[in-house]
Amino acid sequence: MMKETGFVDIRVSAPYDTFGEARGEKSARRFEVYGYTFIARKPG
Amino acid sequence: MTTETLAVNPSVLREEVKKKYRDVACNPHGEHHFHTGRPLARRLGYDQAVVGAMPDAAVESFAGVANPFALRALSRGEKVVDAGSGAGFDSFIAAHQVGGEGRVVGVDMLDEMLEKSRNNAKLMGLGNVEFREGVLEEMPIEDRWADVVISNGVINLCADKKRAFGELWRVLRPGGRLQFGDIANGKPVPESAISNIDLWTA
Repeated sequence: MMKETGFVDIRVSAPYDTFGEARGEKSARRFEVYGYTFIARKPG
Repeated sequence: MTTETLAVNPSVLREEVKKKYRDVACNPHGEHHFHTGRPLARRLGYDQAVVGAMPDAAVESFAGVANPFALRALSRGEKVVDAGSGAGFDSFIAAHQVGGEGRVVGVDMLDEMLEKSRNNAKLMGLGNVEFREGVLEEMPIEDRWADVVISNGVINLCADKKRAFGELWRVLRPGGRLQFGDIANGKPVPESAISNIDLWTA
């Protein structure tokens, strides 16, 4: 979706175990849900 | 894009998100399915010296999912939009990084979060940050105003991602950067779960 919008130079961080030890951990593990940092640039 | 092509009804989802995050604003130490506050900031690798200097009220309702500053710290003087600023935690980090010559505008749709973020900005004596009411898909920000747009755990709660990214693009100046935290799943989520509104916010 970011590329489709026009963003370039897209980078993604290593995953964060955002939901580890939280009440939502079970659901997060089920679908391998992790947090990530994304960065991109608008050309120009 | 019409609602018929979306997995969930955007209005219904927005009301559920409001309910969930109103609770985070008013009851930050309650039982939520995600971490909040200082333990979460520590887990996500925020600069503990900066977070440690912030009052509890400015940190307790933080409910992000990653660290928008992890791949690039903001530069002095930059103009920043925080899309879905909640109680203002990331806006305050941004205000610290851009300094007095920079400016941060947080946008949030919840009165409770706006009141909390404005009170906290006043408490910390921050003159370079302000908070405006609005939704991510239609922010009260002029075209190409921002050097940087940050966001944290909000885009995944927008039913229409295409519209959301289009709005982030609109407020960014050419050459500006989008840096945000969000979640992604490694295993496919079945259609029945995607259309279950409870799973978007639970």
